[in-house]
Amino acid sequence: MILQLVGCSHHLSSVEVRERLAFDSQQAFRFLKKFYDAYPRSEIVLLSTCNRTELYAAGRSYDLVPTAEEMSLFLADFSGLPPAEMNRFLFEHANEQAVRHLFSVAASLDSMVIGEAQILSQVKLAYQQAAELNQPMPLTHQMFQSAIRVAKRVASETKIHTNRVSIPSIAVGVFTRQIFERLDNKQILVIGAGKMAAETLKYVRDEGGRDIVVVNRTLDAAVRLANQFNGRAGRWDDLAEHVRSADLIVSTTGASQPVVTMSMYQQIERDRQQRPLLILDLAIPRDFEPVIGDSLNVYLYTIDDLQQECQRNRDARAGEWPKAQKILDQETGQFMRELSLRSRGPTIQRLKQRAEEIKNAEVRRLMNRLEDVTPEQQKEIEAAFHRMINKLLHPPLASLKEEGEPDANGLLDALKRLFQLND
Amino acid sequence: MTWLYGISITCFAASYLVAFCLELTRVFFRAPLRKYLINAVVLAGFFAHSTYMVLQTQVQFAGAGLFLGSWSGWCFGAAWLLIVAYLWVRFRQPQTLAGLFVLPMVICLIGAGTWLGQELAFPANEARTVWNAVHGLSLLVGTATVILGFTFGIMYLLQSTRLKKKRPPSRLVRYPSLEWLQESSETLLLVSTVMIGVGLLSGVLVNVINQRMGETVLPWNDPVIISSAILFTWLLISLLFNLCYRPARQGRKVAYLVVASFLFLVVELGIVLYFGHATRQQESAESQISLRQEAALGKRQVGLVDREAGP
Repeated sequence: MILQLVGCSHHLSSVEVRERLAFDSQQAFRFLKKFYDAYPRSEIVLLSTCNRTELYAAGRSYDLVPTAEEMSLFLADFSGLPPAEMNRFLFEHANEQAVRHLFSVAASLDSMVIGEAQILSQVKLAYQQAAELNQPMPLTHQMFQSAIRVAKRVASETKIHTNRVSIPSIAVGVFTRQIFERLDNKQILVIGAGKMAAETLKYVRDEGGRDIVVVNRTLDAAVRLANQFNGRAGRWDDLAEHVRSADLIVSTTGASQPVVTMSMYQQIERDRQQRPLLILDLAIPRDFEPVIGDSLNVYLYTIDDLQQECQRNRDARAGEWPKAQKILDQETGQFMRELSLRSRGPTIQRLKQRAEEIKNAEVRRLMNRLEDVTPEQQKEIEAAFHRMINKLLHPPLASLKEEGEPDANGLLDALKRLFQLND
Repeated sequence: MTWLYGISITCFAASYLVAFCLELTRVFFRAPLRKYLINAVVLAGFFAHSTYMVLQTQVQFAGAGLFLGSWSGWCFGAAWLLIVAYLWVRFRQPQTLAGLFVLPMVICLIGAGTWLGQELAFPANEARTVWNAVHGLSLLVGTATVILGFTFGIMYLLQSTRLKKKRPPSRLVRYPSLEWLQESSETLLLVSTVMIGVGLLSGVLVNVINQRMGETVLPWNDPVIISSAILFTWLLISLLFNLCYRPARQGRKVAYLVVASFLFLVVELGIVLYFGHATRQQESAESQISLRQEAALGKRQVGLVDREAGP
């Protein structure tokens, strides 16, 4: 069993790189389809969030799974970045390390904001999307199911998730207070109507925000979200008007291009009369052109600007870290043992089958030679042969099952060679 | 209560210095009891400060002097007003580092007051008149508000720069929000303009009254009057600019206005200190008295000569 992982995350790559490698659902669909066309016998899952893009590949043997280099090239081809340049930001893991990384990601231990809740649903969604395209996916299914279990264990057995924080909570809680004394007299514009927008609005309301406008490409979604928070829905075509009158803008769309460009902002800048504007651009790729942040009295923050605050969050949870790591160690070991067992299953099966065939052949031959054997005696003879086979096979099979190192397939290879068990 | 007379400048200056040092430690580490300690030290200093001011006023009043009319009294008065403002900020914005900006100004004012001493006092008889009191007190309040506005303006500029550079806030201390600093700076600009304006107008009125009563007056082209008029004009223009031109009310411009006002104030105080103000009136009065005395003496001498030369 081969597991391969190539990806980039907030640890190594800046928002500029991550937004080049970000996939919306349609792009992810096209990417996966193209990948399956090239590697039809491998399993693949693409996890793309605002803080990471990770490509998981799995297969029964090396020849079925793309190499890390091939996976990087696929990503480079999609992003348009030169492969050599992109390799600076990518990391690779294989087998146990890949599993451990996925478990860490799902448990939100690798997140920018440790303990945030969104990542688990994003992991589930990534697997579902891949499974829709390529059924069955036994290896990745087991891996992602285990990842979900690990995430739940970490959540229930440690305090990592207590006083849970999220990117919106940090963005709103920390940065709005730096600029605004109160939010009840400010106009708040939320661009996008997804989960992050909803979560952000929750914190905006908690901070006292009342005058809320939600603008989304799909008006219905904007209306639904606005109603949920006693706000107003705005038409996408009126976005510039809403930006003109806003004091605080939170942008969370999945758009692949900036929705507010500098030229658009320049048109409304004069009318704003230099009123302070706080923009929390939580989208990847970014919704606001970065140069807008240079404008007078505009304070533009992106996800990466929250890094230092997130590090504090990480430090605050440091006490719980060893417990979470222990769970990861246990679960990764357990998963690899199960995987290893599973990979030996066909060999064991074939060995047992071979022994059964030999036994049956020998019993048949003996029965043909013997005369006056009663059915009871025949049963006894067959049982004796069966016990002998089992006793002979038990020690090697037990050793094989107890083999500690999942990657050390020496015993399995030896068994295959000794008993001539070819695939 | 005689122990109250033992309160010296050192008592409250040291209290404020300790409070400043405690405020400074907030930048480096967390200490749950520190805020209570700061409150206690500042309140103790404030009590000593207030007591000292009251006693000095009583003592000097009895001796035909006026404590607030002296440079030291005036500086201690301004420092006292700043401490009141500091306590108000501590109440409104307890987590902020306003003390790091306000307390040094307080300490500087106390230092300046101690250094300048009592030598340039108003003549008590003049300072005790209503218009002189209005003149002195409004200028005192105006000066304190300009200094406070300066500290808020500096805080605004630092906070704004920090936010532009996307530096996250410290967990230990933080600046007040930009909105609060801007609104406070605007209010202080308004108050300081009104108070300096009242001070200037009451000063003019005093001069006119003195002129009509044949008392000593400052010439209208006196550098002190001109610089005061320039300061007031600047504050007025700043205020009108702020009220009429909307972008001026936004962001850094208000901060720049209050910081520039402080610089004008420093120049104005420098001129007053260099050329003298009240003392010039005193000197002028004294010189007029001596002239009158000389004239009277001259008349007497002439009379004597006349008598000697008489028939």
